[in-house]
Amino acid sequence: MAGTLDRERPLAAPEQRRGVGGWFDPRGRRMGGFAFILNRLTGIGLVLYLYLHLVVLSMLARGPDAWDQFVDIALSPPFLALDVLLLVGMLIHGLNGIRVGLIGLGLVASRQRAMFIALMTIAALVALVGALRIFGGE
Amino acid sequence: MAIGPTTPAARPEPGPRHAPPFLGQVVSGAALLLLLGLHMIAQHFVVPTGLRDYASVIDWLGSPVVVFLEVAFLVVVTYHALIGVRAILFDFGFSGRTARLITNLLWVVGIVTVVYGVALFAAILNAG
Repeated sequence: MAGTLDRERPLAAPEQRRGVGGWFDPRGRRMGGFAFILNRLTGIGLVLYLYLHLVVLSMLARGPDAWDQFVDIALSPPFLALDVLLLVGMLIHGLNGIRVGLIGLGLVASRQRAMFIALMTIAALVALVGALRIFGGE
Repeated sequence: MAIGPTTPAARPEPGPRHAPPFLGQVVSGAALLLLLGLHMIAQHFVVPTGLRDYASVIDWLGSPVVVFLEVAFLVVVTYHALIGVRAILFDFGFSGRTARLITNLLWVVGIVTVVYGVALFAAILNAG
């Protein structure tokens, strides 16, 4: 009986297989699955950044010397490269999040693949412009 | 033995109560698009170097509206972040007591985060 029930149960979506380990299982994964993984990974990165940001902001409470010294360091090229990475993460998570929200609310589900491609194209273009501006270009 | 709604196999998974509150994530995500946008514009995009110096930060935080928006941003981003962490942790298949424990722990982490952030705002304003 249990075997019958197991056979009748639909296969779990790739992203739901074997917990977090299943995220990295590419078998049978479609674009929506990759978008799911991308959203999770950028989300984890942004959560880590949120707490790092709060720690960094504590320097403001130590007075002008501590903060202005940090600003000098933060404007160095390696830190600016991390800013670009942060911008990329925010764009991917934010724009893909719009898609996830719309689909979850039952809207545009049939267009999710096209939406993902369009939103990620926008993310790439904005990231490129942002990177040029962050490194001082116009 | 007849399979009815009371047999263990037919009982629903501990779903809706422990499932990620999707609507909360969507609503906080939509609010974040606005609040993060405002934060990025005010703190980074309109500043020539991309980062305010100390005097500029203190001057900017002198407005109660700005403080309100920044605290609102902190609350919403913390909620959105931790609800996301909860969803990821639930991918490990936790349910029942463990799921409730995780949820409660994340509430504590969230409250501590917001209290720390608000105390930091107060400390910065006092130091300035």
